[in-house]
Formats: sequence, structure tokens, C-alpha cells
Amino acid sequence: MARFEDQLAAVEAQGSDAQGNDISSNGGEGFTRRGFLIGTMAGSAMMAFGLSGAAAAASDGSANNGSASESLAAGRYEPTIWYAIAPDGTVTVHITKAEMGQHVATSLARLVAEELEADWSSIEVVYVDSDPKWGYMVTGGSWSVHHSYLPLSRAGAAGRIALIEAGAKLLDVDPADCRARHGQVISGDKSVSYGEIVSQAGLERTFSEEELKEISLKPASERRVLGTKGTALDVPAKVNGEAIYGIDVTVDKMLYARPVLPPTRFGSKPVSIDDSAAKQIDGYRQTIELDDPSGVCQGWLAVIADSYSSAMRATDALKVEWQRGDSYDISEADIQEQGHTLVNSPSRDNGSLFVDIGDVSSGLEGASEVIDSTYTTSSVLHFQLEPVNATVFEEDGHWHVHCGNQQQTLAVGMLSKALQVDKSNITLHQYYLGGGFGRRLYGDYTIPAALAAKALGRPVKMLFTRPDDTRFDCVRSPSVQRLRSGLDGNGKVVASEHAAAAGWPSAAMAPAFLIEPVEDGGKVDSFAISGADHWYDVGAQRVWAQQNHKAHEVFVPGYLRSVGPGWTTWAVEQHIDELALAAGKDPARFRLELLNAEGRNAGQAPHSVGGAERLRAVLERAMAKADWDSRDSLPDDVGMGVALTFGQERSMPTWVACIARVKINRGDGSVDVEHLTAVADAGTLAHPDGAMAQLEGSLLWGLSMALYEGTEVEKGKPKALNLGAYTPLRMNQVPKMDLEFVDSDAMPVGLGEPGTTVVAPAIANAIQHAVGVRLRDMPMRAEALKAAL
Amino acid sequence: MASFTLNGKPVSVEVSPQTPLLWVLRDNLGMTGTKFGCGIAQCGACTVHLNGSATRTCVLPVSAAEGGEVVTIEGLSDNDDHPLQQAWREHQVPQCGYCQSGQIMQAADFLSRTPDPSDEEVTEAMSGNLCRCMAYVRIHRAVKRAAEISQASEASTAGVGVFDPSRDQEVTHGQV
Ligand code: FES
Ligand code: FES
Repeated sequence: MARFEDQLAAVEAQGSDAQGNDISSNGGEGFTRRGFLIGTMAGSAMMAFGLSGAAAAASDGSANNGSASESLAAGRYEPTIWYAIAPDGTVTVHITKAEMGQHVATSLARLVAEELEADWSSIEVVYVDSDPKWGYMVTGGSWSVHHSYLPLSRAGAAGRIALIEAGAKLLDVDPADCRARHGQVISGDKSVSYGEIVSQAGLERTFSEEELKEISLKPASERRVLGTKGTALDVPAKVNGEAIYGIDVTVDKMLYARPVLPPTRFGSKPVSIDDSAAKQIDGYRQTIELDDPSGVCQGWLAVIADSYSSAMRATDALKVEWQRGDSYDISEADIQEQGHTLVNSPSRDNGSLFVDIGDVSSGLEGASEVIDSTYTTSSVLHFQLEPVNATVFEEDGHWHVHCGNQQQTLAVGMLSKALQVDKSNITLHQYYLGGGFGRRLYGDYTIPAALAAKALGRPVKMLFTRPDDTRFDCVRSPSVQRLRSGLDGNGKVVASEHAAAAGWPSAAMAPAFLIEPVEDGGKVDSFAISGADHWYDVGAQRVWAQQNHKAHEVFVPGYLRSVGPGWTTWAVEQHIDELALAAGKDPARFRLELLNAEGRNAGQAPHSVGGAERLRAVLERAMAKADWDSRDSLPDDVGMGVALTFGQERSMPTWVACIARVKINRGDGSVDVEHLTAVADAGTLAHPDGAMAQLEGSLLWGLSMALYEGTEVEKGKPKALNLGAYTPLRMNQVPKMDLEFVDSDAMPVGLGEPGTTVVAPAIANAIQHAVGVRLRDMPMRAEALKAAL
Repeated sequence: MASFTLNGKPVSVEVSPQTPLLWVLRDNLGMTGTKFGCGIAQCGACTVHLNGSATRTCVLPVSAAEGGEVVTIEGLSDNDDHPLQQAWREHQVPQCGYCQSGQIMQAADFLSRTPDPSDEEVTEAMSGNLCRCMAYVRIHRAVKRAAEISQASEASTAGVGVFDPSRDQEVTHGQV
């Protein structure tokens, strides 16, 4: 399968955003395909990806003599300055990624600092706005560190080389006799700081794309930053109230707004609006209908007031009669019924094949036993703690949109359609995100704020209440999956077929991210099926990705932390256990046998070097840590289960093993998770403490979804709209955890998501071990277990 | 007109009396460290101290604070050096950070009443505060650590337990 990175590059190269809108006028060319310029502007050294001077001069026929400084100063080449060194030695790293809890700026700045040999205390970060020069802006998929590793490391190394050359001149020594450390160029007992070099000599150096690629990065043994302890840059502002989130933005003369949401996401219209009661509320101004040429806000109203509190109360007092969209009558059960139909007879009309290896049909026919199981997951909410919001105003024909967002390029394209203005007249200003988890990959929430600001000709801050946020959340689609696998007489898996049906986030929001199928048929949303292409050797293998169109009629299927692997891992990892049971084998050792790391499962350098071998290694380590062998002598109603994941994509595997120990209370069917063990191999850890925080949080997310979350869509919206009805994990439900990262200097991969997917199947397998009941529907509710006992 | 003391200073605001204190703090007084999460007193993001007690402000009419003393995260300490803030940095608690003002204000009230809490007491006191990033392991650890810091600084004036930000944090490989 194509690496998603390539897909993204292709989307950029076509000059379109993920909805297929033209972005070529943006001039954004990803930073991977250009040379590197180091020059001096206004006294500071600038390190930028861009056309090098000579190439730039040639490309526009100007008389530019080709110096890096002149190219940078000329500006017309849109050099993308990734970091700068000021005369006082401060290194400012520009961050294009959203800061939403993963300490991404710290990780990315560490990549630069490592190769630049910068002094960490001199590092500052700036979160940039949506200027098109940054290329396609998206933060998701656990990609940030992995995708940035080579470009930012090389950028740092290029800067170091230039500083050593210039520093050697100042010291009057041979560059070969110099080394760089802690922001200084050192030769014997002489040294000069980066700040001194920048202010006294300036920097002038260009690297062609080829030269950049040839720079060899430091061997792991020489690393002084990556893989070491250290704190996150965004933490201090998050313990004293100073961190500014989208919700905290204020603008002169702004009005407050709350959206009035129609009964369905699509096709509703207001028929009559009565605001007589709202008029009694202090500070209420008016209710406006939002006319949205982009089609995002269908039938929405906005209540405008002098304060948010007035806007909230006035909205509650408003009486609106609606003409409801047709999807009002579609329930979660209807969607799931459609899912069952799709997985029972998958076809090329609703998707296609994602994996097709060998002859599955005859493999299953010839098997001595076929295990055939169906698994489901129900709708899940993002419930990022900061409800979606945006503050928008227009100034001199330019639109400023202030909010936290994970996919600025997509949002700008949507805003351009809604406001009917060119994208070059729209800027998204980034803030800290009060949680992302994929919700803010879709900038739909910026549209009503922008339309209200346009209608009123004044700045508007629109904030969704929690129930508003939930109602039109891009929920994780409910899913249905059927797996059929055949065992031969020796308990060896000979063939496996997997069909998965769900709403497809990319089809709904970003069609350009759909990929070609392995053979004929429609395009496939890899985000909705990834994980089914696992690293076990199951003989012949066929995977069907099916789009459940019924889901799309009701809501916008969302990218929710881990996306597809959140359901595919649930099915695959239970199914493997069911096969082990049928074969009469220990489920962990059965997995070790299937992870033979042969053929396509051998892995590829550098991204997936080692392949299934590394999954074996984390499993073996987890078995030792959790004392797997004690599994045969546990007390009554106590069980241990295991599950594995390779994270988000085969081309960027994060290897994780999780073992859960549970105790079942037969009285009410509730499950106590007594212990979670997890071992992860994510290659080099750019920021180990941040990595551990992500592992902790993602595993608990997994536990929360396994037992405590989940809702149903009903009458156009999720049934659970706020806490009380929706019950994410609390501190008193946190089990004992024993977590570990494998020491590795392999290429860094992602960590924001992989931990979320393994916990639920590990618990399901543990429940089966404890009491012999297999729960195939997520969330696993106590009532369901009690009924089965 | 609503009048109360905010972080030690008297304030008066022209708002209708049923306006929740949260919005008066955030929108009228510019104290945005206190957050809005659920609006129904169930997540704790909006927690401040009212007359010394951790209080959810999203459902509390400003009239209930009339003449009272309100302390928000911005007023918890003079130099961001409350033992909880020290411990929060030391253990790198925040992820997205959105819940953390509320967590810290909740914990501050709890520790002022329970200076030497057991693990179970910490869990019980903090379970009303949702952290969607699920940073619970570190929140728990940091509340315990803050109790230690407070006790040490009470036990001695010789600088014992003073947080040194340059000190390495704890091992990140291995057991949690
Ligand atoms: S916003 Fe007040 S408790 Fe959630
Ligand atoms: S740190 Fe994000 S909600 Fe707690």
C-alpha cells in the first residue's frame, strides 16, 4: 500500500486540498522537495526551505545573483523559514503542527536542536498561522514526528555545517578542526557562540536538495537530545492559566454567538422562528439565519448577544419550528443493519479490496475448521474538553479566523466557499487546542462563526455549548466486521477473510485522501480499514473495506483517535484469540507462531525495519513483565488476555503489546480491570517523557472506550449529549499500569494513537479467559456480560 | 451590580445576577485560566475557590459570590510556586492542559484540608474532575508530590523540598 505520506505529497503536488479544491495559488510546496537556504536578514540567521538563489533566479529570469540572503530577502520565492538564530543566540523554531497535548513543539524542536547542536535553553517555538507557504497543514495520524524527522534533522544539520564553516573563519582555524556543542563552535580551547557568529560574520550558504539528502545524520550513540530526559515547552503556561486556547480569544467590539442547531446535520430548514421569550433576556440582540454556500451549515441559526451567557440563555428560550431532514428517522440500529448486510456480501459497489493475497476461497473451503465471527463497535464521541469555537473578523478585506485547528488548509478551503472570498484573503490563527483527538481535523465549526461575522459586519466569537458540540460531533462511526478464517488439521491458519463496514471519514471530509484499491473497484479510505492488513501470517488473506453510506446520511463520520484501527484491532485481536482457542493453543504463543516475519511481514528499512520480529519482541517482553505463565493458575473469575497492534499504518508501524488482567463480578456483570501491562517499540523517542505521557493517555482512552464510552445516534444526534449520560473514564477507574518502551534507535514513528486500540481486545480476551464469555460488541457493558453468564 | 474580591482585589461588574460566575470571570474580568467544559457541574474545568472552597462556577450565579472571596488559577500563587504548580511541572502533568486549572484548584482545596493524603483519598478527591487526555496517572502522582513539598517546607525553612527546575525529571523508561 502507498505510504500515506506519498498520498499527501500527491495531493499537494496536484495543487489541491483534500476536498479537491485548488490550492495551487497558495504556492505551498511541501518542504521535502526544495533546497535549503541559510542567509542573514535583519541581523538574524534564517534557515529556510526554498528555491536556492541560483535556481530561483533562473526560474523567474531575474538578475538575482543567487545569494541565499538575497533570495530570502526577495520574498517572492516564498522561502519557508523553519528556524532562525538571533544575534543573542536564541533559536526560534517555527511549528506548523497543532499543540493539543502531545507536546509536539518540544519534539520537533528537539529534532532541530539535536543536529544543530543548539543549547536547549536557547530554543523558542512559534506556532505559525495558515500561510500557504507552509504547505499542506495537518496534524493527525500520529505523523508529526515521523514525517518531520528527516527534513528537520537535515535542516538542523545544514545549519550546524554553515555555523562551523563561519565559526572556523572567525576563529581562524580549519573547519575540520571544529566541532559544535551547546550553541558554540569549538576548536581546541577556542570557541565562538552561535550568536556571535550570526552577529559578527553572518551566514551565507545554500544546499541543493541532493546535498541536503547526502548530509549524514548523527549516529544514535552521538545523540545528546533525542531519547533523553527533558521537560515540555508548553507545560509551564498550562499550570498558571496563561495558556491561550481558541475559547480565550477576545477581539475589540466582538459579539458573542451560540449556534442554534437544526434537528439533523443535513437537509433541515427553519420554518418559523419565535424569539419573543429570548427578547426578555438581558443582552440578547438577534437571531440570524446562516446562509451557507458551502453547504456545511444546513438550516443553522445563530443567536447573537452581548455576552456568551446571554447567548446561551436566549438560545434556550428561542422557539423554532423545523422542517426536519430525512435522516431524522435513521437510528444506529439501521446503520448497523446496513453494516451487517455489507459484511455478509461485500462488493465493489461500496468500496473494494484492501488486501488480496492468495486464494482465500479455496483456502476456506479446504479448511478442516472455519471460525466465523462478527464484531461491532458503537458510536463514540470525541468529547475534547474545549468545545469547538472560533472568533472571526474581517479587516481590510482579509478574514481572520482565530481557533485551534488540526487541518488549516482544509478549513481555509471550506471558509473560502462559505464566505465566497479567495483563499488568499483568509488566515487561520492557531492557539492551543483543548484536546483534538481528530475532532479539529474538520474545521466545520469555523464556518458558522465566519458567516455570522459576515452577516453582522462585526467580529463574532461563536462558542458551542457541550451539547451543541456533541450533537454535530463527527462521531467515530459505528462499525460491523466479519472475519472468517480456516484452520487445517494441525491448527495452522490457512486462509482469512475480513470485511469491515463503517462510515468513511475521508469520503466525508477529504476525498483526495482516498486511495486506489488493490484491484478493480472504488477507492478506499485507508483510515477506515488500516489495521486489517496486520503482520500475522494467516496464509491466503482478503480484506474488504466497505463504506456504510447510511452512516453518512446521518452524520459526518469523524477521524477519532486511531480511526479505523480502533475497530479493526478490536476484531482482529479477538479473532486471533478465537483461532487459538479452536486450535487448542495458548493465545500469546499462537501469536508468536503467526509472527514469522517472512515475506511481506519481514518489514522494510527504514520505516518498518524488522517487521513482525519487533511485534514478537514486544509481546515476549510483555509476557515476561505480566507473568503470563501465571495465567493458568489465576483465582476464579480472574482472567488474562493479550492483544497487539502495529499502530496506524503498515508503513509507519508502532509496535505495541498489551496484557490485561480482569476480575469479573458475577453479580452485576461488571469488570474490574486489575492491571494493564504494555510494551511499546516506537523507534527513537524524540521526547521520551512526552512519549510516555501519550502511551499512558492513549491506553486509558482505550480502556474508556472499551467499558465506559459509546453511545448511539438516534433522531439525528448522539443519544448521550453531555456528562452524566456520557461517561469517560475517571481517576477512580484507572487500573494499575506497568508500561515500558523498548530501547530502539530505529526511525521514530507515531505515538499519539497506537495505545488506544489494544486495550479493548485485551480486556475482551481476558473476560473470555476468566468466565468463558466472548463479548464481540464494544463497549462491553456489564448488562451484556451478566446476561451471558 | 455584582461585587466580590477576585484574587485579593475588590471588583464590581455590571451583570445580571443570574449570570454564572464562570462567564463573569472569563468574559467580564478577563480571567480566562478558568475553563468551560460541560456547563453542568460535572467536569470540573471551571473550578475556582469561593471563600476557600473548590467550587464549580459554570452553574453558580454570580449573586452567590456577592461579597465573597474568589481565587482563580491566576491568583493561586505569586510566582507560580504553589506546591501543586511545582509538582505539576516536575511531573509534567498537563497534556492539552485544558482541564488543569480546574484540577489544580480542586487539589489545592483538598490538600489544604488533607495535608497528608493517602492514595485512596487523592483518588476520591480528584475523581470529579474529568481529564479527557486521561493524564490521571500524573495528576495523582503530582498531588502526592505537592503534599510532600508542602510538608517539607513546613518542616524546615532551610530550603528542603524546594523545587529545582533544572533537576532531571524522573525516569521515563520503565514502570509507571
Ligand atoms: S464546566 Fe463547570 S463543571 Fe464542567
Ligand atoms: S490535559 Fe487535556 S483534558 Fe486534561
